Amino acid sequence: MIIGKPLDRVDGPAKVTGAAKYAADQHIPGLTHAVLVTSAIARGKIIRIDTGQAARSPGVLSVITHHNGPRFAYQPPKHPWIYGQTHVPLQNDVIYHSGQIVAVVIADTLERARYAATLIQIDYAVETPEISVEANLDKAFIPERGPFNLRYEYRRGDAHGALATAPVRVSGRYRTSMQHHNPMEPTATTAVWDGDHLTLYETTQALAFTRQKTAEMLGVDQKQVRVVSPYLGGGFGAKGYVWPHTFITAAIARSLGRPVKLVLTRAQSYTMHGHRAETVQELSVGATRDGTITAFVHSAVSQTSMLNEVSWEEMDATTQLYACPNAELTRRVVRLNLGTPTPMRAPLSVGGYALESIMDELSHATGVNPLELRLRNYSTHNPENPSQPWGTGKFLRDCYELGAKLFDWPHRLPRPRSTRRDGGWIGVGMATAFHPTYVSAATVSIRMDADGKALVRSATQDIGTGTYTIVTQTVADALGVPAKSVRFELGDTNFAPSAPSIGSRTAASVGTAAHHAGSALKDKVIAIAVADHRSPLYGIPAAQVTAADGQLFHRLDPRRRETYADVLRRHGPVDSEAVWPAAPGISRSYGAVFAEVTVDDATGEVRVTRLVGAFDIGRVLNAKTARSQAIGGMIWGLGTALTEHTIVDEHLGRILTANLSGYLVPVEADVPDVDIAFVDKADPAASDIGAKGVGELASNGATAAIANAVCHATGRRVRDLPITPDKLL
Amino acid sequence: MKSFAYVSARDVPTAVSAIAGSPNAKFLGGGTNLVDLMRGNIEQPDTIVDITRLPLTGVDLLPDGGVRIGALVRNSHLAAHPLIRSRYPVLSQAILLGASAQLRNMATVGGNLLQRTRCLYFYDTAAACNKRAPGSGCDAIGGFNRNHAILGVSDNCLATHPSDMCVALAMLDATVEVESTRGVRRIPMNEFHVLPGDTPHVETSLAADELVTAVELPSVAVAANSRYRKVRDRASYAFALVSVAAALEVTGTTVTQVRLALGGVSAKPWRATKAEEVLLGAPATEESFRQAAAAELAAATARPGNEFKIGLAERTIVAVLRELVTKGDAA
Ligand SMILES: Cc1cc2nc3c(=O)[nH]c(=O)nc-3n(C[C@H](O)[C@H](O)[C@H](O)COP(=O)(O)OP(=O)(O)OC[C@H]3O[C@@H](n4cnc5c(N)ncnc54)[C@H](O)[C@@H]3O)c2cc1C
Ligand code: SF4
Repeated sequence: MIIGKPLDRVDGPAKVTGAAKYAADQHIPGLTHAVLVTSAIARGKIIRIDTGQAARSPGVLSVITHHNGPRFAYQPPKHPWIYGQTHVPLQNDVIYHSGQIVAVVIADTLERARYAATLIQIDYAVETPEISVEANLDKAFIPERGPFNLRYEYRRGDAHGALATAPVRVSGRYRTSMQHHNPMEPTATTAVWDGDHLTLYETTQALAFTRQKTAEMLGVDQKQVRVVSPYLGGGFGAKGYVWPHTFITAAIARSLGRPVKLVLTRAQSYTMHGHRAETVQELSVGATRDGTITAFVHSAVSQTSMLNEVSWEEMDATTQLYACPNAELTRRVVRLNLGTPTPMRAPLSVGGYALESIMDELSHATGVNPLELRLRNYSTHNPENPSQPWGTGKFLRDCYELGAKLFDWPHRLPRPRSTRRDGGWIGVGMATAFHPTYVSAATVSIRMDADGKALVRSATQDIGTGTYTIVTQTVADALGVPAKSVRFELGDTNFAPSAPSIGSRTAASVGTAAHHAGSALKDKVIAIAVADHRSPLYGIPAAQVTAADGQLFHRLDPRRRETYADVLRRHGPVDSEAVWPAAPGISRSYGAVFAEVTVDDATGEVRVTRLVGAFDIGRVLNAKTARSQAIGGMIWGLGTALTEHTIVDEHLGRILTANLSGYLVPVEADVPDVDIAFVDKADPAASDIGAKGVGELASNGATAAIANAVCHATGRRVRDLPITPDKLL
Repeated sequence: MKSFAYVSARDVPTAVSAIAGSPNAKFLGGGTNLVDLMRGNIEQPDTIVDITRLPLTGVDLLPDGGVRIGALVRNSHLAAHPLIRSRYPVLSQAILLGASAQLRNMATVGGNLLQRTRCLYFYDTAAACNKRAPGSGCDAIGGFNRNHAILGVSDNCLATHPSDMCVALAMLDATVEVESTRGVRRIPMNEFHVLPGDTPHVETSLAADELVTAVELPSVAVAANSRYRKVRDRASYAFALVSVAAALEVTGTTVTQVRLALGGVSAKPWRATKAEEVLLGAPATEESFRQAAAAELAAATARPGNEFKIGLAERTIVAVLRELVTKGDAA
């Protein structure tokens, strides 16, 4: 078995040697370069746009504004899914948010395009933008549910009644910040037309989305669009949906008759493909004196944009994690003159932060150890549907146990603000991690050639998580061949269609399809061998033949054997293909995260000194890539807790921190050694290979665990993220 | 970025004559600040005089016990230099707590002195900024000013000088040596940077055609017991919310020598002379430290966004002095 082993990334050598070609790395003859000009104001109109000087600047091929902008065959709907936003720039003079595309310059070199872009003069009629969530709370409304019935309201039992009569009641108002994904690889589109066929080299987490929606906007058949994205330097949601810069670039390339490349600058990536919405959440919990929860009432408001009504900040942990008879959840939005929010690893994080904070507050109020409190309210059945047992879908108890042991979680917590070391207050905190994970149709095809090597293909994506590697392992095991006999190619819509890499679904969906395709191919080759009188396996019932190490052999008499290559040399290549699942599915991943912090007495600086996570992600497919996902996720959660915050000027609506020196992601020095454990029990209900998602899950838990530890250290509950030094003075 | 002419100078006379008479020319040191600003069209020089080949890279002991540092010495080199580490630990610490290793490898002493503010509005050409565009206004005053100054501010600008190195230099009473076609001048560190007043675009007392050639540190015995403390929003690679450079000598229980400077609080590295006056001759107690800090911050003016800096500065001063007492005892 290779599955589960910490196999090194099979794409590692290509990445470290630079052989891996990302979307912006394509060498295309006659390539031209697009540079975007974006709106300086957040609300109003363009009253004059002077492109004369830019158009005359050396090397410039075209300057595009709303006057001559591409016209599209389609208008994204009010709920934009699977477009990122409804608004299509360059169609009229209206400005909805700062950083909106208002002109595009195309030139023969990037430098010339960039320079010419600075020559464009724009006059605006400025209106006062709405920028603040807090200032607009009175205008909050429940959005439309959109195409897949996003849930904005939920009730069971009598939450308010139960809360009113609960012996212990705790309420908190939590605020989380607008945040940005900031993948290392900048978003890029290269559009190359050949007649009426388009090839798009695109940074995308969803080849199929890009293909479908680009075709729709351009008014061409999907078959005329090929999307290529073999490597992705992270996406985290920003590259999950289809945003205007992509189809605008493709449209310009078509009208120009030249290939066009667009790479967003870091600053542009703050306004071109979404962000995590700021939220204000009010959460109350009612419980008995021993900490048995009787009610949750959770009401959240998040930002949305002028043309969209979306909230991706889901709060389902409140209604699904703990056993509790009465619960109410309401999510509303306010419109701001900022871009449209989009999911950011991970949609349940900020709701989960509030829930796991109020659990900690409840623990303080009842005196029940935070871990014990969670165990007391453990749900074995879906609290939303008590007839549905979690079964193999939940091994959260194991997570608590593993994590508590690794961390050495105390049975008896010292009082808050009672432990000091080297001028700092020490505190510990914990939180549960919870996230839905999905599966949806993935197709994997395999061709095995006469040399016994398998070429596996699927139009899926490796967004840096390790898809190349785990699928290689899965197929190798299914076939019974060494990993080096398997080559996996992905990231091209010419391959069989597959699931988007969003919602932590790739490993389970593509992995299972790969497993079935591999098994099918093995069965085919066995059938050929047992029917072939030249084979040592001739005449053996197929069920008695199996494979390992590239050899097919009789289970009962392993001396009767031959290699895949032997069979295929006689017979020729064999193909197989599998699609899985037949219908989309949802399951849940769990974890327990433990943190220790030191808070400087004088300055309020918080340092995380220990971080432990134990996760139930079903069967672990690759111990190394799973661990990397878990570590990365926990650091992600640390950033949300302590440093990350997109700062917007409340009068101008300008994002002031649109770069990696202003937007603070945690650096090495902020991160302690992170300890990870996996339960590693298969969940056959989640997928046939027993795996479910890890990427989003792992970013949950750490935020609240750290915030809780800060409260334990200092005795002060900061309910406003990130917890910067000034909030602790 | 606007097109510009590029001149590479191999000696000081060539450098200063290249810039003389061309008011829109700029020296290029490590480029870690200037090139960013040019890319953002915030600075648009028409000529760049590359000075990285000038022979100003020495760190030399002076006969009077001071140290002379060439203007082109890279920040990392300076921080690692044995003379600096042993005699002026505060300077080494300050440099190492600034920027990132990669940036420090490029950054020069001259460039560090002349680096420009990190006010977020200064970097956004869509915002009003008196420093970038004199007379246009200041969007930071009514906007996001959490990172802004509390000492020596004016109604025209609240920007801070972002350098860590300079805070240590101010504490050490360094002298900046500058040269132009008119000759050589020496400017005391505490007069090198200037407060914004009505002209926030004027940041130093250096003339446009003057080249920084060296920084000289006097011999400062007390600097052996010195410390730089930087408070920031993440553990590394972030500018100071507040920083403190301090050196302290306690004889018996009395403060017999003290030097104190603050960063992140003003348009210049802020020498805390008022606090020094309170401390000198006072008992080395928490109480005196607090009084001294309060005396220095009495003149502070904050906006709602950066009010916390007053308390933070006071607490950090006290914490650093307390540490120096303990450290001095141990030594
Ligand atoms: C992301 C980032 C984070 C940073 N963090 C910090 C930090 O935490 N703390 C900190 O202190 N600094 C920080 N810095 C700033 C860094 O220290 C400065 O950019 C650097 O010191 C500038 O030196 P340089 O040689 O690269 O200057 P350049 O960019 O070459 O020049 C800067 C200015 O100085 C002028 N100049 C250069 N040399 C001379 C000379 N000899 N005579 C006259 N004029 C001269 C130039 O004309 C230009 O105007 C950071 C910078 C970046 C980009
Ligand atoms: S504080 Fe100074 S630098 Fe910042 S916007 Fe105002 S004038 Fe410009």
